[in-house]
Amino acid sequence: MPLDHRRVRGPEESQPPEVWAAAGGAGEVPEEEDAAPRDPCALRPLFARAGLLSQAEGSAYVELGGGTKVLCAAWGPREAAEPGAAAAAAGGGRLLCEFRRAPFAGRGARLRPGSAAEREAEREAAAALREALEPAVRLARYPRARLAVSALLLQDGGSALAAAISAAALALADAGVEMYDLAVGCALCRPPGPAAAWMLQPGEAEERRAAARLTVALLPALNQVSAVLGGGQGSPPDAWAQALRLGLDGCHRLYPVLRQSLLRAARRRDAAAATTA
Amino acid sequence: MASVVLSEAEKLYIVHGVQEDLRIDGRGCEDYRCAEVETDVVSNTSGSARVKLGHTDILVGVKAEMGTPKLEKPDEGYLEFFVDCSANATPEFEGRGGEELGTEIANTLYRVFSSESSIDLKSICINPREHCWVLYVDVLLLECGGNLFDAISIAVKAALFNTRIPKVRVLEDEEGSKEIELSDDPYDCIRLNVDDVPCIVTLSKIGYRHVVDATLQEEACSLASLLISVTSKGAITSMKKMGKGSLDPESIFEMMETGKRVGKSLHIALQKILDEEESLGTSRQKVGFLG
Repeated sequence: MPLDHRRVRGPEESQPPEVWAAAGGAGEVPEEEDAAPRDPCALRPLFARAGLLSQAEGSAYVELGGGTKVLCAAWGPREAAEPGAAAAAAGGGRLLCEFRRAPFAGRGARLRPGSAAEREAEREAAAALREALEPAVRLARYPRARLAVSALLLQDGGSALAAAISAAALALADAGVEMYDLAVGCALCRPPGPAAAWMLQPGEAEERRAAARLTVALLPALNQVSAVLGGGQGSPPDAWAQALRLGLDGCHRLYPVLRQSLLRAARRRDAAAATTA
Repeated sequence: MASVVLSEAEKLYIVHGVQEDLRIDGRGCEDYRCAEVETDVVSNTSGSARVKLGHTDILVGVKAEMGTPKLEKPDEGYLEFFVDCSANATPEFEGRGGEELGTEIANTLYRVFSSESSIDLKSICINPREHCWVLYVDVLLLECGGNLFDAISIAVKAALFNTRIPKVRVLEDEEGSKEIELSDDPYDCIRLNVDDVPCIVTLSKIGYRHVVDATLQEEACSLASLLISVTSKGAITSMKKMGKGSLDPESIFEMMETGKRVGKSLHIALQKILDEEESLGTSRQKVGFLG
């Protein structure tokens, strides 16, 4: 991203004021407000819309109640750039995923676009996105081709990767790519404390304070788990299994919403085609 | 990642073998290969270890350097992981080829160590907000023979066990300016408590069953694997699905149970070896790369 030199840029090294506010002991007050117990099984309202970008072959926008906004575009089968690599992939196509955070997406100080830490985090999220989507796409039907998906996180209000997975699957389906199923992502977190229960779809504040985090992706029609990514404070396998069950249940509940939005996009496109014809 | 090309018949042979709990090298589904661990192999580091697991060969060096604590955690030191995929392991790693795998492994290590209880980071802080020890953990892949993640985590744990950080004292004079004094005795150093450092157990799904410590050939037959980090007490600190395929929810639960069981015995065996090596003291004959 080229830097705009006309703008007054901040000093080379700057620190978010929250860090110092918290140290003074006064910063914790506004955060305690949302600490009221909430139903751990409650899902945040999800808004999904497919087919909103005119230039991309497929696109989707997913917004979660707490303010997470993800915009996703899918670019349908193109000839693979490097024929050598395509042949090595056993005849199947390749899925290229990109995950970008808008410079203003996060809370606190704006991260310098293109900084090493930023790039690392984006690359990891992109790899997670690819692993979640690959089992859902029928790549064997696209030999020597590549499919590209790019997710842009406009605002991070927690559960960003999960929202990106859902949006990317929706965008691929909207592009007419052959798929086995939609991949639905769902995030969970466990607040610190010995008896804390796992909560579905945490907000940004909850996610930041969490002792453990988990993101799962499910192909609901096939009942196959396509992504599991999580970590944090150690707990016995039973506790993780319970969290996983809760997450998969959340995915099942989100599935109809995504399907509806896909149907609506198809109807809208039909109507548009009818009026131009 | 390094991989081998197998024909369909070879794959079928491996898959059918796994179904019968008999793998191509004669192991059962929950057996590890014979592992060789040696610590203190590189004298220029604060701690180092080399692990050979079958044909997988890993060298880890830990260097302690002084730095400033992170803003979010002013009273803790921190760890930095770097993974270097040497072109000796496979020609694919030449140039920038190994970079992607390297960052993937480093990110996995960060996640495994993200739990506060895994290592006592407060003990490597010198004075809050100003000085702390930064442990640079450099992982070198010398040979890839399958199951990289497990071998790396064993090597990292052994290297951290071996790490000795010199003791320093902060002196403050009347004007409030601080001075750091290094102890004169080279043997006066802090050791890290590695009891809660997790090890990674990778479970590869082959056919209807899952195996631990897959070789390259077995990895080629597996579409999806689950990576679990387990502490010595059997608690799971992180997990990640890897590979192109997807997994059945039920099999994930089974894999977690197996991972816990296998991980616990792995920790016991590793700790025993490390203690044994430690008890030999300086009289130990170093094997190094000549073994």
